[in-house]
Amino acid sequence: MPKRTDIQTILVIGSGPIVIGQACEFDYSGAQACKVLKADGYKVVLVNSNPATIMTDPGLADRTYVEPITAEFVEKVIEKERPDALLPTLGGQTGLNTAVELAKSGVLDKYGVEMIGCDLEAIERGEDRKMFNDCMAELGIETARSGYAYSIEDAERIVGELGYPVVLRPSFTLGGAGGGIAHNHDELLLIVSQGLELSPAGEVLVEESIEGWKEFEMEVMRDHAGNGIIVCSIENFDAMGVHTGDSITVAPAQTLSDVEYQRMRAASLAILEKIGVETGGSNVQFAVNPQNGRMIVIEMNPRVSRSSALASKATGFPIAKAAAKLAVGYTLDEIVNDITKATPACFEPSIDYCVVKVPRFAFEKFQGTDDTLSTRMKAVGEIMAIGRTFEEALGKAMRSLENGRAGLGADGKDVRVTEENFNDLVGRPTADRIFHIAEALRAGFTPEQVIETSKIDPFFINRIADMVAVQESLRGMRVDELDADAFRTLKRYGMSDIQIAHLTNSDELTVRACRKLLGVRPSFKTVDTCAAEFESTTAYHYKTYDADETEAPGERTKKRAMILGAGPNRIGQGIEFDYCCVHASYALHDAGFETIMVNCNPETVSTDYDTSDKLYFEPLTFEDVMDIVDAEKPDGVVVTLGGQTPLKLANALSEAGVPIMGTSPEAIDLAEDRDRFSAILDELGIAYPAAGMASTFQEACAVADQIGFPLLVRPSYVLGGRGMGIVYDGAQLEKYMTEAAKITPDHPVYLDRFLEGAVEVDLDALCDGDQVYVGGVLEHIEEAGIHSGDSSCCTPPFALSEAIVSQLRSIARRLALRIGVVGLINIQFAIKDQVVYIIEANPRASRTVPFVSKATGVPLAKLAARIMAGEKIAGLNLPSDERRLDYFSVKEPVMPFGRFPGTDTVLGPEMKSTGEVMGIARNFPAAFAKGQLAIDYHLPESGTVFVSVCDRDKRALVPIAREIKRMGFKIVATGGTARALRAAGVDCEEVRKVSEGSPNIIDRIASGEISFMINTPFGHATRSDGYELRTAAVRHGMSYVTTLSGAQALVAGMEVAREVGLDIVALQDLPQWEG
Amino acid sequence: MSSISEQLLANTSKPVPKEALLVLEDGSVFKGTACAAEGEVFGEICFNTSLEGYLEVITDPSYAGQIITMTYPQIGNYGVNLEDIQREHPALRGLVVRDMCTRPSNWRSTLSLPEYLKQENVVAIEGVDTRALVRHVRDHGAQRAVLSTIDTNPESLLKKVRESVSIVGVNLIPTVSCTEIHTFASLPKSHDFAVAPALEPKHKVVAYDCGAKRSILQNLVRCGCDLTVVPWNTPAETVLDMHPDGVFLSNGPGDPDAVEGTYSQVQKLLGKVPVFGICLGHQMISKAAGASIEKLKFGHRGGNHPVMNLLTGRVEITAQNHGFGLLFPSLGELIPELSGGHSEHVDDLRFWVREGVAPVVQNDRFGRIRLTHVNLNDGTAEGIACLDIPAFSVQYHPEASPGPTDAHYLFTAFIRLMDKDPNYLDIDIAADRLAGWTFGERKELQHA
Repeated sequence: MPKRTDIQTILVIGSGPIVIGQACEFDYSGAQACKVLKADGYKVVLVNSNPATIMTDPGLADRTYVEPITAEFVEKVIEKERPDALLPTLGGQTGLNTAVELAKSGVLDKYGVEMIGCDLEAIERGEDRKMFNDCMAELGIETARSGYAYSIEDAERIVGELGYPVVLRPSFTLGGAGGGIAHNHDELLLIVSQGLELSPAGEVLVEESIEGWKEFEMEVMRDHAGNGIIVCSIENFDAMGVHTGDSITVAPAQTLSDVEYQRMRAASLAILEKIGVETGGSNVQFAVNPQNGRMIVIEMNPRVSRSSALASKATGFPIAKAAAKLAVGYTLDEIVNDITKATPACFEPSIDYCVVKVPRFAFEKFQGTDDTLSTRMKAVGEIMAIGRTFEEALGKAMRSLENGRAGLGADGKDVRVTEENFNDLVGRPTADRIFHIAEALRAGFTPEQVIETSKIDPFFINRIADMVAVQESLRGMRVDELDADAFRTLKRYGMSDIQIAHLTNSDELTVRACRKLLGVRPSFKTVDTCAAEFESTTAYHYKTYDADETEAPGERTKKRAMILGAGPNRIGQGIEFDYCCVHASYALHDAGFETIMVNCNPETVSTDYDTSDKLYFEPLTFEDVMDIVDAEKPDGVVVTLGGQTPLKLANALSEAGVPIMGTSPEAIDLAEDRDRFSAILDELGIAYPAAGMASTFQEACAVADQIGFPLLVRPSYVLGGRGMGIVYDGAQLEKYMTEAAKITPDHPVYLDRFLEGAVEVDLDALCDGDQVYVGGVLEHIEEAGIHSGDSSCCTPPFALSEAIVSQLRSIARRLALRIGVVGLINIQFAIKDQVVYIIEANPRASRTVPFVSKATGVPLAKLAARIMAGEKIAGLNLPSDERRLDYFSVKEPVMPFGRFPGTDTVLGPEMKSTGEVMGIARNFPAAFAKGQLAIDYHLPESGTVFVSVCDRDKRALVPIAREIKRMGFKIVATGGTARALRAAGVDCEEVRKVSEGSPNIIDRIASGEISFMINTPFGHATRSDGYELRTAAVRHGMSYVTTLSGAQALVAGMEVAREVGLDIVALQDLPQWEG
Repeated sequence: MSSISEQLLANTSKPVPKEALLVLEDGSVFKGTACAAEGEVFGEICFNTSLEGYLEVITDPSYAGQIITMTYPQIGNYGVNLEDIQREHPALRGLVVRDMCTRPSNWRSTLSLPEYLKQENVVAIEGVDTRALVRHVRDHGAQRAVLSTIDTNPESLLKKVRESVSIVGVNLIPTVSCTEIHTFASLPKSHDFAVAPALEPKHKVVAYDCGAKRSILQNLVRCGCDLTVVPWNTPAETVLDMHPDGVFLSNGPGDPDAVEGTYSQVQKLLGKVPVFGICLGHQMISKAAGASIEKLKFGHRGGNHPVMNLLTGRVEITAQNHGFGLLFPSLGELIPELSGGHSEHVDDLRFWVREGVAPVVQNDRFGRIRLTHVNLNDGTAEGIACLDIPAFSVQYHPEASPGPTDAHYLFTAFIRLMDKDPNYLDIDIAADRLAGWTFGERKELQHA
């Protein structure tokens, strides 16, 4: 049956900010869905609070609402746009939960909105463990033995029947939040009590432990005619017990015989039908007992998921696109396979390569938290690698992570595995376990020992043992001994040039030169969904050393522009850079280039095969990029839009003769090199904080003597403030210098005078060499000292004077021209006592580019790409960059602290946020309030506010407290704060600090009586009172602010929301640059 | 392989490398190393796109005379369980893989694939850029090939392969068929964890063995057939004398035109007893009805071909293994009143999918015959049902093994045909999804 004609307008709900467990894969799927629905003639209305997404580009949907994803706001959108249908399955758990809320509260009925793709009952059957288990029992398919606990006593009773260990899963939480494995009574108490609080239903599933079993996932699609297909099977490398998002996974399944696989396949399809997923994609997870094949279904998600994004990239089958088409009435056999363009989508992809996904973690950002992987997801991103064999793919994967590693060990960075640490390093699942496994095998532990201890399937361990054996046979050979055959063997076992260099005591460039001299070059194969059975036209390639035949680059018909992506999402480098790369690709394609994307992040829009003319799914290392350059011979390579990952390749590429588009590597260096940069600032008469550079503690002391404490210290060449800190004295400095040596031993440390209390400002601008266009000026809400990625900010500035703003513009113009920027530049300023200082300038796309583009209607990344391709600002027909904007836009960061119990949540110069939201309104407080709503999904309305601030903030707290009282809140405060408030005539109740014995404020927080907390950090000790307070707030999901400026904004926002209410606005109603 | 390379591989699971060559009759040469038995074998080169189920592929008798390339690069990962084999010995001529696994992992595995292949004296090569090979075969068609671990001189191998016998027009059935009439009732114990036990035998069925896969016979037994297996050329009279409730026609290798010994007997059976045919069996019914068979430009070999059942509009994902196919128009003139008013045949049968019609032809020998199944990839015929006599057949493999089991319902349909159910083919595959499978018992907990 063709598409439905009884619906015209479809509402799509996005997934909101990037958080752990819900990242840009939903931008990828949502963007696909919007595109395909629009192409089919539907009017698409979108709600998503995340400005850094492609899906919220004003051109993608017909009506785009960057508004909080709450039932209240979505109802406002429904009321205004009157959609006929709601597609809830593409916005992750957030989208699904909101849809359920709207359905249950009767909003959908009230406005006659039909839920398509999946109905309420099916969602509930899929999500509610009880109903799900009942469905499985009816099918005769096993689930883990389990029971529901609504109290500690319930849990204890169930454990009495099951025995330890048990798995605990709070119902209806995101990414398994609050779950865990209890091996004993103490752990049971801890996890169950947390879980009961976290679960909206106050319910925790207690389940028999299947830790150590093999884990599989099936990606399934179904249409309303009842046709079902498996798009991809995935086998987890890590055994059960590690969340699948935290596991290394492999596609297709590697160790299932046909009878096992087909039974799992049949069960997956039957489960979809039983749950009642009418159309669309779902994923079903299974555990298999490695001893006897007993198969248990773990769960199913009746929606597009992280795994379906991975499956789409792994097979070339566009699940989200198909799901959207199925939701509007098509059947699978009516949809054409996008890749072959000749066969129907109603088939099961066959692949002739192996895919490995490896999660990227950020534990280094969260000191004090346990880094053991568990059933609660902690990864902040992931990479995918494609090779003809598991070995080739794994080798590639291990050098894609942007963690300084050159492959699976053998790069001089391994930790020695000994009898003493073997159990901990190999037995305990951690981010680095894969490296330790290789190292253990290298140290002489047998594969059997490793299998026994890690519970990882022998298939994988034996393959890794082979990889290590090849590495060790190479160790000590000379690179000039290696013949072509030997090089090919090494490459087929996944080794990088750097690893070969390390093992042969050579260097990367020599290895590369020797290899090329011997004629050992890779070939490029194609991802075609059908293992070459049919011809395909889509240029989605990967590199391999199966080199009888290469399928790229094809005929040269136009100029070629290559865009280097951003690699895995991690803190400090997220979806924003992917957004910029995608925009560049679109713009360069329109400008007549053949565009070539290189990236290894499966969650992104950039790695969608139809974003660019060609896609190379490859690591962003010098070797891998150069191999593609050698094949494609691009006319230009874009390195300034993908964040630090491609930027750090700029010099090496340039030296290898690769034409870099836009700002030259020389100019990039001018801004990155502190001395050269300072010289320019001196020359232009621009102020900057006194600064120095040091490689040792002694040198650092000398610098400190010169410029004085406090100092802002950081390693060079990092993004996201990795390793950054503020030090107030010599002891802290010494500790810092020791740590820094571990992070980037090859680079010195910068020491800047820290401007305490200054206002920070970000500025994004375009420059074509002749002219500068200021895209936006962003005033930070938090004071200096907090990483710009973790600060809330507002454009246009809400409190800066006209004079200051024009001074900032003037500095930006002079600086961009002087450095020689061609493309984007981001400048960070600090303003203290009316003096403007430059903190840093980065001649590349910044994290704020998508936000600014949405706030102003001027797509900066697209324009930057056109400028890099030779266009001039004068010819771009841009609106004046000094025009007044009618709306204030606030960007607010989203913190992942809930995932890292025990870590301090205070903000500082090291970035910790995973994502951001945007609030748009006629005034600043309203925009800020929307941002808060988009993060917390509610604003405190009444109750008690807890206040505890450091001495420095006590005076400034008074007017804020007065406002809080006026709004009808009660205030409780710790001793010092309470005295200061009372002295100023603000009534409050005093409460004991944690260190003052019980009962204390933690008890009050635990009781749920506190609606929000203002706590500014006292000192620098992590285990302080403040630490206890903030972690308690996170644990109980309580709103809190750790800066006074943040508190001020929040209170103002609450007041506006209460007094005048918050309106919605579509981006299409704001002025948009048309080109 | 160079000596440095050998040194690098010395401590891996790989055997000491020994050069092997695959040479096609058009002169293409693919290099690799031996990974099973040594020797020199000739056959038609073809490929299979199944992601798992390599053992079932290797032991499928329909691959007699062929050298199989597995498109999935790593083969042997989960080892070998001898109860998964489809025939006592592999009938293929040789095997081509990218990477052969010597250290498999699976609880059911009793030996590694290279060990098994050596036992069975199957020559195999690994290290080949199999994707390049598959693309070559796709673009230049099936052709003769030689695989050798003895002679590694491309010129001499090319000369030999050009002198070798082509399988076109050759009857390979006698090489794989049984020679004695026997009963079949044994089921693999090692499948009990996953596959439901057999129903009580109710129907006496005679199966023509043209190289039948064991899984087909097992499926018939599981569905309640009391099974007698007869050689491929058993006279119809002999079969009818057994008074069976139904006759089954099996799959088998090679060119169906050469299998007169079977289809001439089928012609005498049709109309006298319910008949169900799979793959070659489907072609035998077609031949018996006087239809023409074509050699497909691209053979179907894999586990992911979409087939639409024109009666239900449902798509089945099917296992396929055939290089020849029925030309549906050759069965007879269309009957417009039963074919949506159409009287003109079309070559691409996807026309009927779009029309939503299961067309019927008037056959000279057996009356009305309906097209029931169409391949959605290339519009070829996948299944027919006779309306005036009790017989139906499909070109693909409902027993799968390896492959998806969507079409399992066809075994049920055969039982229903023997039970004289007029709507025997009208089965909802969704409802039948879990038929034949079993899952462990679920224990319920009692609590609040």
